Amino acid sequence: MGKYSQLADLVLKGDQPQVEQVTRQLLEAGEDPLQIINEGLIAGITEVGVRFKEGELFVPEMMRSAKAMKAGIEILKPAIAGSDIPSAGKVVMGTVKGDLHDIGKNLVIMMLESSGFAVVDLGIDVPVEKFIAAVQEHRPQIVGMSALLTTTMPVMKQVIDALSRENLRENVKVLVGGAPVSAEFAREIGADGYAPDAASAAELCKQMVG
Amino acid sequence: METLRYASRHGHGLALATLAPAQIEQIHQASCRILSEVGVLVHHDEAAALLQKAGAYTDGSGRTYLPVALVEWAIRTAPSRITLYNRLGRPAMWLEGHNAYFGTGSDTLYFFDPDSGERRPWRSQDVAAALRVADALPGIDFVMSMGMLEEVDKRLHNRIQYALMLKNSSKPQVVIAEDDKTLADIIDMAAAAVGGREKLAHQPLFALYCEPTSPLQLPYESVAKLLLAAERRVPVNFACGALAGATTPVTVAGTVVQANAEALCGLVVHQLKNPGAPFLYGYGDSPLDMRTMQALYAVPEALMLQGCLCDLARYYRLPSWGYAGCTSAKVFDEQAVVEATMFTLLGALQGCNLMHDVFYMESGRTGSLELLVLMDEVISRVRFMLRGVDTSPQQLAVEAIARVGPGGNFLADDHTADHFRQSWQPIVSDFQTYEGWMAAGGQTTGQRIAGRLRQILDTHRPAPLPEAVEKQIEAILQRAQERL
Repeated sequence: MGKYSQLADLVLKGDQPQVEQVTRQLLEAGEDPLQIINEGLIAGITEVGVRFKEGELFVPEMMRSAKAMKAGIEILKPAIAGSDIPSAGKVVMGTVKGDLHDIGKNLVIMMLESSGFAVVDLGIDVPVEKFIAAVQEHRPQIVGMSALLTTTMPVMKQVIDALSRENLRENVKVLVGGAPVSAEFAREIGADGYAPDAASAAELCKQMVG
Repeated sequence: METLRYASRHGHGLALATLAPAQIEQIHQASCRILSEVGVLVHHDEAAALLQKAGAYTDGSGRTYLPVALVEWAIRTAPSRITLYNRLGRPAMWLEGHNAYFGTGSDTLYFFDPDSGERRPWRSQDVAAALRVADALPGIDFVMSMGMLEEVDKRLHNRIQYALMLKNSSKPQVVIAEDDKTLADIIDMAAAAVGGREKLAHQPLFALYCEPTSPLQLPYESVAKLLLAAERRVPVNFACGALAGATTPVTVAGTVVQANAEALCGLVVHQLKNPGAPFLYGYGDSPLDMRTMQALYAVPEALMLQGCLCDLARYYRLPSWGYAGCTSAKVFDEQAVVEATMFTLLGALQGCNLMHDVFYMESGRTGSLELLVLMDEVISRVRFMLRGVDTSPQQLAVEAIARVGPGGNFLADDHTADHFRQSWQPIVSDFQTYEGWMAAGGQTTGQRIAGRLRQILDTHRPAPLPEAVEKQIEAILQRAQERL
C-alpha cells in the first residue's frame, strides 16, 4: 500500500490517532504537506463521500472520518503557512438571532466540510450585524442560515435585507433551512435556496458554486 | 365517562411496564448525577436566581448544578394528578394513574386537502375545519393547533391559532406560545371563555407545551413561559423533543437519562416559582435516521422511551405526557397505519395520561385528517380493551351456560340478547361478507374514512362561544396587534 493511500484508508476508517501519527511521519520524512493533504487526507474523505452516497456508510461514520481528516490538516497547517488550504468553496453559516438550536446547522457544516468546503461557523443566536460583518470579512460564496423556531424565522429575511442594503447581496447565494422553514418561505423572503436536510444542503452548495 | 377514567377498570388488568423497579432507580440516579455533576445552562436571570437561592451552584463557566435534595423536593411538592376541564366548565380529563387520553398535534406545515387530496399549506378556514373534525370525534379528548396559518401576521400566529381552537372546539386544549406575552394573552382568552382568571386557575382548560433546548439548556423564552404558567397555575410540561443521536445519546436509556434530567430541571424551576403548581412530566424521542438525517416518529425506540417515561412518571407520582397516532410516512398508507396504530395501542397500555400528535404525518411536517378519523376507531378499540375483563357473576355467565347446556346454542338465550350490545362496534371497519360488501358499493376503508370525514365537515357544529366572549377574544387580539 502506498504511503498516501495508507493515510487515505485511515481517514476512511475514521482512525484519528493513526491519521495523526502517519501524517506526522510523512511530514518528518520530508513529504510535501500539500500532497499529503490532497493525495492522503482529501482522497480519503472523497472516498467517504462516495461510500456515503452508495449507502454503505452512515453519517456518524462520515463525521468520525471528517474529524480524523481535520486532525491531520491541523498537523500540516504550520508547514503550509502562507498558502491556502484547498477548498471547494467558502460558506458562512449560523443559527439566527433568538434561536439556540445548532444540531441541524452543525450537520450541514459537517456535510459541507466532508464535501471539501471551508466553513465559517458563526454559531447560534447570531445577530444580523454579525452575518454582515462575516460576509465582509470572509467574502464567502454562500451564506447559510438556520432556524428551528417560528418566531426566529423572520430574522432570515432581515439578514437578506441587510445584505442588500450593504450591497453584498449580489456576491453571495443565500441558503436557508430548519424544521419550520419551507421552500415557499425561502422564496417569499428572497433566499436563493432551501434544503430540507443536510445532505441536500451540501448538494445545493456544490451546484451554487459549480 | 367511567370508561375513560382508567386504563383498567380493575386497576391493573391491561397495563404495561417497560422498566423493572431497579432500572427506574438507576435512571433516576443517573439523571440526578447529570444535574449535579454536568450541570445545565440557564438563560434566564430569574430562574437562575431562584435556583441559586435554593442551593444550586453556578460556576465561572455559567453552568448551574442542582443538588439532588432540591430535585427530590420538587418531585414531592408537585401535585400527583391534574383535572383538565372543557370549555363548558365540565371536568373532561383526569390526568392520573394509568388514564390514557388522546389529542391532535400543533403547527404542521401542510395538510392533505380532504376534497382534492392535494398536500398544501394550511389557511385559517382549513384549521377551523380540522378543529371541528377533532371536536366531533369521540376518541379525541383534546385539541392542539393543527397547522401553521399561512396568511396571518406571524407575530400573532399562536394567538390567532388559539382563538380558532376556542371557537371551533369545546374540548380541552394543549397550546404552544411564542413567548410569555403570547401566553398571557392566551390565558386571557381562555379566562374570557370560562368566566375569569380565578376560575381558569381553579379549572384549567388548557395545558402549555414548552421545551428545553437539548442538550441541557434552559432557553429564555421557554423559561419565561414556564414561570408564568407556574404563577397562573396553568398545567405545563418541559418536554425534551429528543433527536436521539444528535441532541441526546443514541441509546434509549441515554435519551431517557438526559430527557428526564431536563424535565426534572424544568420541574425544579417551576416548583420554586410556585410550589404545588401543576406540572406534566414527559418528553419524546424522534431518533435521527443516520442516513437521511430525518427525525423518525413512531419507531420502536420512540415507543420504548415513552414506556420508560410512563414508568418514571408513576414512580415520581406525576401526570405523564407523550405521543400517539403519529407516523413518518409521507402519505396515508400502510406505513402510516402500522406506525400510528402501534403508537396508539402501546401508549394506551403504557398508561400515558396525555398523548398528542394523533394525525401527524411525515414526522410532523404534514397533518392528515384521514389518519385522525382512522385513529379515532383505533382509540375506540384500545379503550374497549383498557376496561379490562369484567368477572362479575353476570359476566361469568355460569347460569347461562347451565341453561344452554351441552350441544345448545347461545344465540337464542337471553344472556346474549342482554349483553351483546356491550361488544365493541366498528366505526370505519367493515365486517360484511365479500358479496355483501360488494353489493353495498365495495368501498375500501380509505373511501369510508373519506366519507365519514366529509359527513363530519358538513354537519358537525361545535358548541358555540357566546357572542360576548367572541367580542372579548377579538379585543384581546386587537390589543396584541396594537402593542406589536
